[in-house]
Amino acid sequence: MSIQVEHLYKQFRVHVRQPGWKDAIRSLFKREYRTVEAVQDISFTIPSGEIVGFLGPNGAGKTTTIKMLAGLLYPTAGHVQVAGYVPFEQKPEFKKIISLVMGQKSQLIWDIPPMETFLVNKAIYEIEDRVFRQTLDELVELLELEPLLTKPTRSLSLGQRMKCELAAALLHRPQVLFLDEPTIGLDVHTQEKVRRFIGEYNREHRTTVLLTSHYMGDVTALCDRVLIINHGKLLYDGGLDRLTEKLTPYKLLEVRLASIPDISWEAYGELVDAKEGKVTLRVARERIPEVSSQFLQRFDVRDLNIEDPPMEEVITLAFQEGSHVS
Amino acid sequence: MRRYWRVFREFFRTCLVEELEYRSEFMGNLLSSLFGIGMAILTIKVFFYQTDHLGGWGYADVLLLLGIFNVLQGLIDFALRPNMSRLLQHIRTGTFDHILTKPVDSMFYVSFRHLVFWRLIDVLLGIGLMIYALIEKHYMPSVLDAAMFIVSIGAALVLIYALWMMLMTTSFWVIRIDDLSFVFNSFFETTRFPISMYRSWLRIVLTYVLPAAFITSTPALSLLGKWNGMTTIVSIILAGLFLWLSRRFWRYALRSYTSA
Amino acid sequence: MFRKYVVLLRMKYVEMFAYRLATIVWMTGAMVQPLITMMVWMNIDPHQENAFIFYFAALIFVERMTSAWDVWEMEREIREGTYSYQIVRPFHPIHLAIAENIVYKALFFVILVPVWSILAIFVPAMRLGQINGTQWLLFFCALLLGAVIRFLFSYMFGLLGFWITKVTAVYGMFEAVSLFLSGRIAPLSLLPPSVKTLSLYLPFRYMVGFPIEILNGDIRGLDIVFGFGWAVAWSLIFMLAVMLLWKAGLRKNQAVGG
Repeated sequence: MSIQVEHLYKQFRVHVRQPGWKDAIRSLFKREYRTVEAVQDISFTIPSGEIVGFLGPNGAGKTTTIKMLAGLLYPTAGHVQVAGYVPFEQKPEFKKIISLVMGQKSQLIWDIPPMETFLVNKAIYEIEDRVFRQTLDELVELLELEPLLTKPTRSLSLGQRMKCELAAALLHRPQVLFLDEPTIGLDVHTQEKVRRFIGEYNREHRTTVLLTSHYMGDVTALCDRVLIINHGKLLYDGGLDRLTEKLTPYKLLEVRLASIPDISWEAYGELVDAKEGKVTLRVARERIPEVSSQFLQRFDVRDLNIEDPPMEEVITLAFQEGSHVS
Repeated sequence: MRRYWRVFREFFRTCLVEELEYRSEFMGNLLSSLFGIGMAILTIKVFFYQTDHLGGWGYADVLLLLGIFNVLQGLIDFALRPNMSRLLQHIRTGTFDHILTKPVDSMFYVSFRHLVFWRLIDVLLGIGLMIYALIEKHYMPSVLDAAMFIVSIGAALVLIYALWMMLMTTSFWVIRIDDLSFVFNSFFETTRFPISMYRSWLRIVLTYVLPAAFITSTPALSLLGKWNGMTTIVSIILAGLFLWLSRRFWRYALRSYTSA
Repeated sequence: MFRKYVVLLRMKYVEMFAYRLATIVWMTGAMVQPLITMMVWMNIDPHQENAFIFYFAALIFVERMTSAWDVWEMEREIREGTYSYQIVRPFHPIHLAIAENIVYKALFFVILVPVWSILAIFVPAMRLGQINGTQWLLFFCALLLGAVIRFLFSYMFGLLGFWITKVTAVYGMFEAVSLFLSGRIAPLSLLPPSVKTLSLYLPFRYMVGFPIEILNGDIRGLDIVFGFGWAVAWSLIFMLAVMLLWKAGLRKNQAVGG
């Protein structure tokens, strides 16, 4: 097993900022603290080679969890093991097999070309020349980095920079890759490219990938398995299909009619929208065949479409506190 | 003119509210200002351990000069310095265009948008030092002294603003250097000491090319009753001249920026 | 490790080169305060003019050769969150700081030595003929120690950034005090006796003033030995402090995160 997490807890003591004058002066001598429960009793196991997504709103505890897995934070309670190592012990051998990429925070040196950062990483991770050449060529091809390598990092766009970041992170062929909000701030086109790359790379090299995001698109494109975290708690651990089924036991039925009759749609399902000839209803999954055929029989149907509810809807429901999905 | 005063008041209010959010930092800032002026006074003391006068100025005279220096530095840190790095950011990230579309003069906006309030502590400490120096010297400035002082300190402020603006304007071309205020600091350091201390050629440069003399020495002399009508008039003329130059320079920069 | 340093030095060189304009401006700007101070002293005691010129020229050189700015770099990295990248790599970040210091100091050396040589032609006070070989040797040893002490001191404060957010402000205060005790406001011999005595035991003199005193011929024999003794002692103290603070800082960071 590549990653094992058991009953992980992380608490922070946060200094409470006082607004008043007197309080401010008092706070210089005696500070008041408040405990934040960033991660509460999270357990999961990830076999090597899997791509797993941590999904949750901002402040949910995803980044805190990733940082504990990377060894940047030590847990308040619980066990963490990554590829047989205990991350917070910070052993050099452990560091050589992991890699971290944080969206919006660059490890590339700003004023000089990314190639220079690559060379430094080569030295730091003690990568042999031949292996380095091979890996670099592969990454350059997959990520289309050729024109970017010799331009200073500061002159690259955010998307170009992210591609170089990924390359820098993968030069030493890590076994585990931690991606913290990797597509944040990127345009749609680049987001897709990045997702495609991660998927390809994982298939090719069987690297375990842990990805945190609050973008649905990252998760739907890449992850077979998703862990939903909110308020520090693990709300769901499993596939996306099962999640959709459980949380939203309905589908969306879209019908295009010649004209919209003025009737109550309750018998068929819950009305979402009805305008310009198009009626959208929420229909319970089991009833879809029945309701569809009823429509086809009773109305002049020009077009009929059946869809899963948008992922956003699913996720919003999942994020609600207490909605633990078994 | 009244509109600009109102706009300035808005900047003042906004920044004050922002800063009051961090009241616990007030203590740290107070200590830092006290420490700063303490070190400056100690420096003077070290010099006067070995001598009675500096360029013809006595200990109390130099303290007065230092007080004025502190007041001016406080005002620079209050209003001018915070805006310098922001201008560079605006230009780099392209948000400067927003400023150009606002119905307020861009030079005014860029100079005064961000104000750092706790720096006014430096101004107060400077005034305190000035009063102390005058007491030490047993000298009470006459009404005329005070008037000449006000005129020359006004000229000094205008000069500082103009020089600072000219430096800021170079950010349009020199985008590689993060914070050009460093350059101004180096120049401003020369005003810490009486102008008479400097050798002949340097004194000329610091009087007519980069008018350090009129920034601290002239106001100090005025307050000490040693003002000179001619000098004061020259300071006003120079202030006007430099302001006009800085305005022309800014306009020129805007033209080349908007055409790029 | 040597090969790693070669790569690091090369990278830092490329980075410095990209920054060369800013570096030159910054280096020139750092000369203003010593020059003004020099003019003050020349005004106070015109008879000693030549001695002051030599002293402050040497001061500019030594000060640049020992200057350290690591506390600002580290404060920024911790604040921006990019310090995590340093922690996650199997390489101690101090090596990057050392490489940067070496590259910049080499640059200052390469600029300042020729400038001095040229100035020495026109300014007799700056001539170096009177300095013997032993003095030179001792001077460079003291200079090296001074650079080490100042670097470790700055790095130490950088590490304190794990605990104190405005650590650059605290460092600034120490730098201000250092101005007096390292001989940058006045040659140590011109300070009041109590301050002079204090400076003998504190690290600041060994950062800047001590090498100049050797070059000046102001101290000899046993005093030099005493000086080196204290310089080495302070280097060891700061080295220990950096090692301890690094471990403690990592633990602190792991508790609170970034």
